[in-house]
Amino acid sequence: MAVPLTVVDDSKISRKMVIRALPPGWDVEITQAENGEEALAAYRAGKADVMFLDLTMPVMDGYEVLEQLQKESLNTFVVVISADIQPEAQERVKKLGAMAFIKKPVKTENIVAVLEEYGLL
Amino acid sequence: MPDTDAPKLLDFIVDRTHAGIFVVNRDMEIVLWNQFMEVHSGRKAQQLLGKNLFDEFPELPRKWLARKVENVFILKNFSFTSWEQRPYLFKFPHNRPVTGGVDCMRQDCTLMPVKNAAGEVEYVCFTLFDVTDTSIYQQKLKALTQELREVGNRDGLTQLFNRRYIEESLGKEFNRARRYGQPLTVILTDIDHFKQVNDTHGHLAGDEVLRIIARRLQDSLRDTDILGRYGGEEFLIVLPNTGTSGGKVLAERLRHAIESEPVSFGDTSLSVTISLGITELRKDSHDYEQLIGEADQALYQAKEGGRNRAIVFRPDDPAS
Amino acid sequence: MSIQPYTEDQADALQEVANIAMGQAGDSLARILDNFVTLSVPRIRQIEVKELADTVTAMVGEEDVSAVRQAFYNALRGEAIVIFTQSGADELAELLGYDCELDAAIEQELLLEVGNLLVGAILNGISDTLGTELGFSAPSLMAEHTPLRQVLAPDRLTWEQALLVEVNFSVEKHRFKSHLLMFMTEETIETLRHILDDFMDGL
Repeated sequence: MAVPLTVVDDSKISRKMVIRALPPGWDVEITQAENGEEALAAYRAGKADVMFLDLTMPVMDGYEVLEQLQKESLNTFVVVISADIQPEAQERVKKLGAMAFIKKPVKTENIVAVLEEYGLL
Repeated sequence: MPDTDAPKLLDFIVDRTHAGIFVVNRDMEIVLWNQFMEVHSGRKAQQLLGKNLFDEFPELPRKWLARKVENVFILKNFSFTSWEQRPYLFKFPHNRPVTGGVDCMRQDCTLMPVKNAAGEVEYVCFTLFDVTDTSIYQQKLKALTQELREVGNRDGLTQLFNRRYIEESLGKEFNRARRYGQPLTVILTDIDHFKQVNDTHGHLAGDEVLRIIARRLQDSLRDTDILGRYGGEEFLIVLPNTGTSGGKVLAERLRHAIESEPVSFGDTSLSVTISLGITELRKDSHDYEQLIGEADQALYQAKEGGRNRAIVFRPDDPAS
Repeated sequence: MSIQPYTEDQADALQEVANIAMGQAGDSLARILDNFVTLSVPRIRQIEVKELADTVTAMVGEEDVSAVRQAFYNALRGEAIVIFTQSGADELAELLGYDCELDAAIEQELLLEVGNLLVGAILNGISDTLGTELGFSAPSLMAEHTPLRQVLAPDRLTWEQALLVEVNFSVEKHRFKSHLLMFMTEETIETLRHILDDFMDGL
């Protein structure tokens, strides 16, 4: 069965870049969200077993999404996708419950590495 | 030209061009050293290739330069030095030993990342330009600009500061005094009956009187006081860090300096006096123009009172 | 010459490319300075040069600034201006390995050095992502402790329209702050439009 995956980014181009980089053999059903609120809505609708999450967004940013997920102890596999790749930023999102961190621009091999590490592929 | 000559040509040009070119690897080992570098450093490429740059040239600013080179490796970006901030990287003699006036070659330097096929920086290439000539011209230009600026601030006749400059200075002193709560006094002074001098002895005589008075005023002031020609026969004096009591003493000294000795030019000797208006910065002074206005009022009172005197402005005086 | 504004997609792509570049620049600068570095999300606008002073003042404030300019060329052509509000020169000197006394010339050199680092990091990031390569001129000092409005006075800038990319840069725990403005010529704004289109087509 296809994995429900939500790609969260305010930039259409950025979502496109992420989707384009998904490993070809990975069976997913993709939902797109433009901000944190849409992401949480997608999760509640059962469309986000896996979430690829950008950090800087209007309305509700990635950090807030992570906090909200933690607060409601919601269970989804969050991969943060961000341009800010300084170790401090990575540290911070891991503390907030993100499973992995992938830097922009996203490359297929980086996604594969994360998915394989957690046995999702 | 056959293609095959191009690499040879490039080698030749890199070696013989009129700029220093040398290349280091990440360990700061020299991998290329062109003829310009050989000639000016007195060190042959043969002796230097494979050697550490800092070992061979211990006089280089090691910590700073190593950091700069490392940054080129990390950022994959150009880096630069300019003679204006750092006159030279290598202390080389220059080609103007006679007409130069500088001690050694002025240098502009470019550090260029040299990437391998994988896009990683493998070497840093230095290009070193002799800009001694430019630096000499620039220094001359700077001196000239400075001189021009000086001239632009001066009154042609008396060589005192002109009105624009003295007002600008007063504005600055006004702000500074107010910020730091320091006293500031302004004196406006005017030569008594100057029109008569012009009418009786002619304008050339009048000009001479202005010059002599200007010099005497200047000689009676302290180094920190600023004197300028404010109008025809009017002078403005700014006294930083001085209150009206000090200002009054100084004003009396100026008055005396003019009165005590007649002004002589040609065969003529004239008794000249000045009147002075004094005011100081108060808490309620809102701008420097106000100070000039107050000094002018006090000067007017000095004229009314019979001239050849110094009057301090009184803010509560109903007459003013 | 009046220029068509970028389409929503082009603007989005440019913003994304700039974000990525900023992330890489932040990481490189952090490695160089050995400190956490904050680079703001770049704000990109097409503006008329006569609006420039007001626009930048709104962001930087009415203080005296120092400014470094540097040209870039090749596929993209323009000039970058880095505006320093607080120099914190002594601390920067330490971070960049200067071990001599700070004097006026060294302070200038520091501004040039940091200007060059910022411009290079950010512009190389952008050109890398877009698959182009840039060259850079030596940076030069535009102004020292000068009112911002004077630095950006329209008569000092010869372009009518500019693509303004604005990035704020600060180093954690240090008094240092700067803003980077990037100006591209009308011609380059068009070139960039094509590069962005190609970039999107490649997705």
